[in-house]
Parts: sequence; C-alpha cells; structure tokens
Amino acid sequence: MSMQTFTTAATVEEAVAAVAAGARPVAGGTDLVVGARTGKSTMPGSVVAIHRVAELRGVEPLADGGLRLGSLASHAEIAESDDVCARFTALSDASAIVGSHATRAQGTVGGNLMNASPAMETGGPLVCLGATVTLRSPSGTRSVAVEDLWTGPGKTTAAPDELLVGVEVPAPAAGTGSAYVRLEYRRQMEIAVVGATAAVTVVDGVVTAARVAMTALSATIRRVPDAEAALVGSDGGSAAIESAGAAVAAAATPISDVRGSADYRRAMAAVIARRAIKTALSRARGENA
Amino acid sequence: MKVAATLSVNGFAYPVELDPGTNLLAAVRDVIGLTGSKEGCDDSECGACMMLLDGQPVNACSYLALQAEGSEITTVEGLADGDTLAPLQVAFLELGGVQCGFCTPGMLVSATALLADNPSPTEDDVRIGLSGNLCRCTGYDGIVKAVLSVAGSS
Amino acid sequence: MATVEEPRTFIRPDGKEKVTGTGRYTADLVLAGELVAKFRYADHTHARITRIDVTKARALPGVLAVVTHEDVPDVLYGGMVKDRRLFARDTVRFEGDVVAAVAATTAAIAEQAVALIEVDYEPLPVVTDFEAALADDSTLVHPAWEEYEGNESLGRHHNTVGYTAIVKGDADAALASADVVVRGRYVTDPVQGVPIEPRAVIAQWQGDKVTVWTSTQVPYAARGGVAHVLQIPESHVRIIVPLLGGGFGAKCDFHFEGHVAALARAARRPVKLVFSRREEFFAVGHRREGMVIEFESGARSDGTLLARKARLVLDKGAYCGEGGFFSEMAAMHALGPYELENVNIQSSLVYSNNQPSSSIRAPTAPQVCWALEQHMDELAAALGMDPIDLRRKTLIETGSVTATGQVLEQIAMKETLEKAVELIGYGQELPEDEAIGVAVGWWPCFAANSGAYVKLNPDGTGTIITGAQENGTGSVMAMPTYVAAELGMQPEDFSMLYQDTDAAPYDMGSCGSQTTFNSGRAVIAAAVDLRDQLLDAAAEQLEASRDDLELVSGSILVKGSPDKSVTIAELAGEGTFHGKGAGEVPFAPEALAEGCVGQSGLESFHAPQLIAHAVRVRVDRDTGVVRVLQVAAAHDCGVILNRMGADGQVYGGVVMGIGQALSERTQLDAEGRHLNAHLTDYKLVTASDAPQIDIAWIETDTLNAGPKGSKGVGEPPCVPTAGAVANAIARVLGARVHQLPMTPERVWKAGQ
Ligand SMILES: Cc1cc2nc3c(=O)[nH]c(=O)nc-3n(C[C@H](O)[C@H](O)[C@H](O)COP(=O)(O)OP(=O)(O)OC[C@H]3O[C@@H](n4cnc5c(N)ncnc54)[C@H](O)[C@@H]3O)c2cc1C
Ligand code: FES
Ligand code: FES
Repeated sequence: MSMQTFTTAATVEEAVAAVAAGARPVAGGTDLVVGARTGKSTMPGSVVAIHRVAELRGVEPLADGGLRLGSLASHAEIAESDDVCARFTALSDASAIVGSHATRAQGTVGGNLMNASPAMETGGPLVCLGATVTLRSPSGTRSVAVEDLWTGPGKTTAAPDELLVGVEVPAPAAGTGSAYVRLEYRRQMEIAVVGATAAVTVVDGVVTAARVAMTALSATIRRVPDAEAALVGSDGGSAAIESAGAAVAAAATPISDVRGSADYRRAMAAVIARRAIKTALSRARGENA
Repeated sequence: MKVAATLSVNGFAYPVELDPGTNLLAAVRDVIGLTGSKEGCDDSECGACMMLLDGQPVNACSYLALQAEGSEITTVEGLADGDTLAPLQVAFLELGGVQCGFCTPGMLVSATALLADNPSPTEDDVRIGLSGNLCRCTGYDGIVKAVLSVAGSS
Repeated sequence: MATVEEPRTFIRPDGKEKVTGTGRYTADLVLAGELVAKFRYADHTHARITRIDVTKARALPGVLAVVTHEDVPDVLYGGMVKDRRLFARDTVRFEGDVVAAVAATTAAIAEQAVALIEVDYEPLPVVTDFEAALADDSTLVHPAWEEYEGNESLGRHHNTVGYTAIVKGDADAALASADVVVRGRYVTDPVQGVPIEPRAVIAQWQGDKVTVWTSTQVPYAARGGVAHVLQIPESHVRIIVPLLGGGFGAKCDFHFEGHVAALARAARRPVKLVFSRREEFFAVGHRREGMVIEFESGARSDGTLLARKARLVLDKGAYCGEGGFFSEMAAMHALGPYELENVNIQSSLVYSNNQPSSSIRAPTAPQVCWALEQHMDELAAALGMDPIDLRRKTLIETGSVTATGQVLEQIAMKETLEKAVELIGYGQELPEDEAIGVAVGWWPCFAANSGAYVKLNPDGTGTIITGAQENGTGSVMAMPTYVAAELGMQPEDFSMLYQDTDAAPYDMGSCGSQTTFNSGRAVIAAAVDLRDQLLDAAAEQLEASRDDLELVSGSILVKGSPDKSVTIAELAGEGTFHGKGAGEVPFAPEALAEGCVGQSGLESFHAPQLIAHAVRVRVDRDTGVVRVLQVAAAHDCGVILNRMGADGQVYGGVVMGIGQALSERTQLDAEGRHLNAHLTDYKLVTASDAPQIDIAWIETDTLNAGPKGSKGVGEPPCVPTAGAVANAIARVLGARVHQLPMTPERVWKAGQ
C-alpha cells in the first residue's frame, strides 16, 4: 500500500492528535523513508510530519546538571553540543558517527530510539547514562526508562498512540566518564556490527558505579550486569577490564550474516567492550581520552 | 490522491501536485524537471541525490517531498551565480575533481554544506564530510584537493 | 627513459555541464510518450521453464507491451560464444536471467504487470561451486554447449568455456631440483564494477529504424547486438550515448539495448529502462569473477627462480559473452612480469549458475596478481630473502624473453619497482602495527581499428568526429589537444561529435584502456590529413612551396616572410576541409608460445604496461580492521599525454583496488543468489578511507606504442593494489590471508 495521507503538524498537540488518529510520525525520515524505499518495510498509509514542531527541538542543559533533548534533536546538534561532549560523552561519541553528514543533519534522537534497531548508536549511551524518555498521548504523559523502551528489533513498549516528545538525562555523578565504541570496517557510513557503551564513576581510584551496555549483540540493546559487577569495587585495572569484556562476550547472543559470523561478533564483543570501558575510565579519571 | 504543494528550489517557487509518498529527488527531477541531482542507489548510501534543505544536507532520494514544503531547497543547479561558476565548481574542474561527473552534483552540494559549516576544514574534516558521497572514478583525491583549495587551507 | 613529475592542468570540454548539473545522462532524457520498462527475472537460478503466461499482465490497464522469447527472433548471441537468448526460452541459468519484459505507462503498473506474469519451472540442480563444475560428471549449465557457435581456440569442453595451458621447459623436474619450494591456494570472492550511474536505456523507433540512447561503454557492439538479436541491418540501428556515468567494464559488452528495442517496437512507443541499484548488482556482466588459484614455485637458495606451476579456475557464471579470453588473460597474469624458464600453467574458465562475469577493469588481473604477489613474498620468506630483493632478481627487463617466447623491448619494470619503493620509504622504522607491502604487475595494450574525421567550420573552428567513447576518464576529452597541436590551433577551437554510431566509423569502445591507443591514433591521423589539405590550399593561395609553410596560432605562414600568411578561418570560409584517418594499427609483438593451448591473442603482451605499487597499512590485530595509510604507484605506461587524466586513473584505480582488497565482496547464497545487492553491505571505499597516493610515471620509448609513444593507463592501477595490501598485512600479522577480500574477520582469524 502506498501513502494515502500526509499532514504536517505545527504543534505537539497536532502531532499527538494525528498519531492518535493512526498516523505514523516522521521526523528526519532516515529510517522510515529509507526502509520503505529499500523494501525492508512498507510505507505507512498515513503519516504526520513532526519536523516543524518547535517544542520538540533542542539540546538543553538543565539547572540540576542534567540534559534535555527534544525528540527532534539531530545527531549533528548532539555531536556539536559542548555540554553533551563534556558530560554525556558516550552520547556525543555515538551521534558523531551516525551515517554521513546528511544522516546526522536530518536524523533525530527520537527517530533513532523509536526505530528500535538493536544496532542503533544512541541507545547504549542513553541506557548507560540512565536516561528516560517522555511519551505523550491524548490520555497524558508518562516517563519510561530508555532501558525499558525496547522489546525486540523494531518493537517498543510505547503505545501506538504515543509520541516521544523528549529525552531526559540525569546529571552524572562527580567522577563519571562514559564512552561509546563501535567496530568500524570503514571510518564512516557504518552500521554497528558490534558496539559497546560504558559509563563509570571513579572515586579515589575505586570504581563506585558502572554501567555497561552492548549494541548489536542481542535482540535489543541491553546492559550486562556481570560486566558491571566485574568493575564495581575494582581499581578499574586491566584485570577488571578483561573480565568485564569477557562478561559482555558471554552475554552476547550474536547472529551470523553478511556482516560477520557469530564467532567473530562474540570475540569482538569483548574487544570493543574493553575499549569502551578503558576510554570511559580514563575520562572518569580526567585523563585525556 | 495527489496533494498540491509549493516547493522552493534554488530561489524559485514551483507549484506541484504530488503523491504523498513521493520522495524529494523524484519531485525535483521528474515533476519540476531539474535533472542535475542524480539517483545512484536505493538505500541512501551514494549521495548522488544530495540537496540542501535550508542549508543542511539531505539525501533527497529518501526524504518526503512534502516535508520540504516551507524550506528552501538547493540543488547543484543553484550553486553557480548565473553564468559565473562558484569557486568550488571551478576548483573541481581545475584539480581533477570531475571524471564521469555522476557523483559531481552531490559532491558539490555536500562540499558546499561542509564549507558553510566549517570554512577552514582540515583534510580529514573534508574526507569525513564527504563520506556520504561515493565516487568510483577519482579516488576522491581531486575532490578533496578542490575543497581544500577553496577553503584556502590546503 | 624519463620520469614525468609535473601535473598539467586540463579543463575537460564536458566539465562545465558536469559541474552545473546541465549535462544529460541517459536517465535524464525524456521522450514524449515514453513508457517505463521492467524486467521479469528468473525465479530460480537453474530451472527448466515449463510455461510462461503473460495474459494477465497484458490485460492490466496501462500495459502497452509484454515481450518474451516468442516475440523476438529465435537467435543465440554472445561475443565469443553464442550461448544465450534475449529472453530465456527453455532454461534460466542465473538470478538475473530475463524471462519477460513489460512496458507500461508508470513504474508502478510495470511492476505490477511483471508480478502478474506466470512462469512455471522445473528446478534443475544448481551449479554454484565452480571448481566442482570442472568435473566431467558435474551438472551441465549448457547441455547443448557443443552446438553453440563459438571461438574455436577456446578449448570448450563440458562446463569449461575457456581453457588455456602455458607450458615451457619441465616444471616438475625443475621443482624437484629446487632448494626451496612453496605452495599456496588462494580464493577470491566475486566483486562488482559499481559505476555510480546505474544502467539506463531508451529506445525509440521511427519507421524501420531504431535509435537507442544507452549508458554503454561500447556503442558499436551495442549496435551490432541489437541488429543481430532483432535480425535487422546494422544501418537500421543508431546508438547514442549521452554522458556516461562511469563503466569500469560493467557497461562493456552488448546487453540490454536489445530488450528495450524489442519492447519499444511492440509498444509502438519510446521505452525507457533505468536499473535500480539492486538490479545493477545482479545484472549480467557487472561482476568480476571469483577464482581459485593454486601456485607452486621453486627457487635456488640464491633466489634464482626455477619453476612455477599454477592451476586457476575462474567462475564465468552462466554465459560467456565477450569474456572467453579470461582463461588466457589469467594464465598470463599467473606468469606475471617474471623471468621463468620452467612453467606449467593450467587455467580454466567455467560455466556456473552464478551471475556472469565480464571485463571489469583489468579483467582477471587483480585476483591473480594478488595471489601471485603473496606467493612471491612467501617464496622470499622461505628463502630468507627480502621480497624486494627477490623481485630485483627475478623481474623482467628490457631484452627478457617471456615464458611464451615474447622478446620484451624497452620496458621499465624494475625501474617502477625502485621508484615505488623509494616513494613509500621502504625500510623506514614503523610502529609495530604498521608495515609496507609491495606488488608488481603488468597489463597489455589492445590494438584495434578506429577511424575519425576532423572537419573545419566556416568560422575557422573545427569539429572532431570520433567513434571513441568517453566514460569519464577524459581520454576522449583530451582529443582536442592532440588535434589542436597538429593544426597550430587551440583545443577550445574544437567541438566533438562522439558517442553516436551514425556519425563516426567503428570504434571498439571504452574498454581495454584503448581509447588513446586506437581512437587517439585515428583522430591524430585525421588531423594530419586535414593539415595536408590546408597546406595545399595555402600553398596555392600564397604562391609558396608547401615545405615553407607552418601552422601557428590559427594561421598558415610562410617561414621567414611574416606578412605572407592566411588564417585558417579565411581558408575554411572558402572550402570544405575535412580530414579523415585511421592510422596504422600497430603490430602486436610475436610470441612463439610453443606448448600453449587456448590462445586468443594474449600470449604476447602488446606494449605492456608495467606497474609497481607499494602501500603502508595499519592493522588493528584485535579486530582485523586494516587501514591503508599511504600508496606509492609507479607506472611505465609509455609517454603520458595528459598528466591530469592519467593521474586521475591511478587515484581512482588504486582506491578501487583497496576496495577489492579489503571490503568489496559479493556474497551468494547456496543457490547463487545475491545476499548483499545494495551499497549498505557492499562496501565501497569512502573519502575517509582513501589514502594519500603518490604517483610516478616512468616514460619509455615503447615499441609498437600508441600515438606519440603512449600506452594505456586506465586498467593498470587496479592490478597490483590488492597484492601490495596483502603483503603489508602479512608483514604486520606474521600470517597470511588467503581469501580476497581480506575482511576484518578474515584478517583477525589469520592473526589468531
Ligand atoms: C545512510 C544511513 C546511515 C545511517 N547510519 C546510522 C548509524 O550509523 N547509526 C544509527 O544509529 N542509525 C543510523 N541510521 C539510521 C537513522 O539515520 C537513525 O536511526 C536516525 O536517528 C533516525 O531518525 P529520523 O528522525 O530520521 O527517524 P524517522 O525515519 O523519521 O523515524 C524512525 C522511526 O521512528 C518513529 N518516530 C520518529 N520520531 C518519533 C517520535 N517523536 N515519536 C514516536 N515515534 C517516532 C517513526 O515513526 C519511525 O518508525 C542511518 C540511516 C541511513 C539512511
Ligand atoms: S540516490 Fe540518494 S543516496 Fe543514492
Ligand atoms: S566522477 Fe565518476 S563517480 Fe565521481
């Protein structure tokens, strides 16, 4: 079926109403339109463009040290934000390597999260930074931890009539560093074959908190508790990093496809996780990384 | 059912009637009749269709034309000032940035966006910025040199 | 011998239209009333067709024509073996076989109609393992192969469509006497040409004649092809090539012009076909073949090369096309540019149910060279020798006699090696994850007929009419400079009429790096003819002897009497001056080639181009990701006529070679269907992965060269790049990757 109706929302209310009436939101279209064009998915019969809704824009630092992203925040805006870069570094690592300069200019964080690909770039960082999303429908607004947003490839816990309006990231504790690393065959225009995020807090040389998530290694992006446990309480030395990496490999349930075999992916899970953790640790320690 | 809209391309307003699913590239090439932008793929990978939307690069092949209503669209045809070529166009010709020319419209548009965003890029900035545009002929050498020469930082 | 260093600027005559977007490529053209064409492809990769029913498709409103084998003459075609039909009749043999075609008012209707065509099949066993297809008891891809008309020298047998043996001396005995013997088996995946412009064809009939606008590299082959499959005279077919968005061999050979012409005739309307990128990936002839390559070489402990044995199996895919010569070409590359006394090379080109391969930029050479150059480095390692020293000792030089008995004159093979090694800084201290690798290769010129006219316009400007085909390289674009030089005029004084088969005499097309070599020769000969006519006219007018005249800045002057002159414009206004020329086709050097079987004329390499590439790579041992950091390319391509154009070929060819080395790879399922027919997972090198490339041209005085001492430049840059990358990777890893491309996973595995 081809698209029958197309409207452009000017306000959040209009967008929410259209979605409630059955329209699919389109933001940058870099997943929705591309997917339909390649034949991976079909074009929805009814679409509401939300890209002109001013209230959905913005990358704003909050007074409490947190961060608010409008669902339309583009990868380019996120990557270029000094705030994100300084304190939510894993997120800027991620947005900076999405697609090409055009993908980054048009692609949004809301679209990235709602497309629910297990290979999406911003998912791991937002999970590890403890972010929540705000979903709005005619019946009200609710918050969902990003961690609880996905149930499988392309599947979310959002109701069909819910619009993602924004993402809130809490202030990181003092001594926190984070990093996202992706296995890259080429330097640009890659899809994560393996990705890993780490956010760690180091106080007086001891890791007091750690979150580690794996990307493209299971049906959804998810945290690896064993890897986190291997880090917390340790000095963040090579033994701890090594066992955290091994824990990620053990937790991975990779597939074999044209991009790589499951064996390779599993081996890379450990390598890439170690790299993410190492970088996060040096950032936490204020080292140059 | 076709929808009436007005698309502003290179400073001209074009009234058009489009199927809602029409992509921007098809609208500009087939309906408006500006064929400078090319179609080279179906998965947003080649960049031959690159246009600017209010100055920001977009893969027009995978962008809904109706979403562009209200924005200023720039294509390769809009880069020269009348008969005077833009410095990037001249540099592409002088430094070996053009062979078969099929990637050239998209490359020029990407390079225009790149320089607007970062007027004095390093070579690596240029290579990163042009990575969404594939060229099979030039090995990118002449293209990168051309962009750097215009940026004045070669 | 001279090294050319200074780049000269060269503004392409087609440049302005290309940078302004006003140039027209085939898909940009619109004819009044044109229809959209779509193909119905095979539903199986090997099956007998039991029924084709197009009734429902024909009945769909908006469909003006549906064409199958029943609607065209029942003829077989193919450049070297006539083994295929325009539309499959009894059997489909690969994923991209065309069973039927539809012309409709919109793309959506055409697609719908294609889906409504009913085709029943009886599936046949699928031949995808091309090495196994060699066996006499394997399933035949073409059971009727013996009845096909084909080039006699190919040595066809069973599934083997081309077989070449090069034998000299006694390789087995020499190997037995060697101090060191190394063996290796190398396997390459198929890759694709991937011009950024997908194929497009438009056909329009006017009366009995058809004009076809098409993105082909070979307009005259397309004309002959259309005439043959529709059984009409060649003079009824006119092929016009608008701007061509690259080819790289994927647009060589005659392919889709016949289908579209047939559709347009049936629909009585112009019909346009534009390929999607997916079709572009699986279409006939867009692929460089996969190979299995086995080498065994022996040497004395001082590095003297005693013998080489090789066994090559090439996957031709379902149809031969023009590619029957690949077994011999591959065999010549298995010899490589080395001095060899004892040789036994066996090379087989085999049918399979995979996508047919074609002359993708330097057909067969990059794969075989990649294997051979690794093998030579392995031999060096076994000898405890530096690989450069081993090559210094074993490479051909002026006066060498090849294994096929060709005496090589004026070649700079060793000089290119020294230059590449110097440019890259071989031997320098490097970080432990970096290394330099070197590879060498060679490539022949192809002498062929061509013809051209140069006419003067009444205002004193000129028009060049050439059959040559510009595919982007600039080789045709440079022709005004040659003509202007002969006539004492400026290149800007000339326009060109080209890429139109009704305009100029036959030309081979833009394949085999031959445009300057052959078409350039013809254009220069036509300019010389015109020059003679002008001198005759001026001599009469100025009452001077021809020998006293010279052409300078658009005028003809009497030497020493500056007031006695006539401008070319004045002369042009008075007469119709038009030169024509073909030039003399240079001889190919002789080869004795005793002990060679399966010759298609490649047993001697005409005016060989010699190439050495050195690359520096960084290998991430933990992930297997390789980055090429620097490339030095030294080429002996004879005299370089257009430095910027020639450099452009090297930049592009090297980067294409890097793609083949590291990331480009067509993956097929068990039935021979593409698994990654899209650019997301068929990874070309992007700007951020392309390295710095330093180029050196070493000019030689080549025997039997093209115009002004030139050879080809377009294909050589692809030849040794992957081999050099492989040797660099092996140096970092201390282990070798025997599969091409050397993907991160393969590199990682080799390093475990
Ligand atoms: C060439 C290319 C390269 C890419 N590379 C990467 C990469 O490296 N990493 C990566 O992560 N992704 C990549 N992507 C995917 C894509 O660009 C990103 O996921 C992007 O962030 C999607 O944002 P969008 O606004 O374009 O989404 P859209 O396509 O507009 O929407 C995507 C989905 O989300 C839904 N949606 C959008 N906004 C909302 C909202 N506010 N509320 C509810 N639902 C919503 C849509 O209905 C749709 O289902 C690439 C895409 C392309 C074409
Ligand atoms: S045609 Fe748009 S990216 Fe290829
Ligand atoms: S010039 Fe041909 S693809 Fe870039």
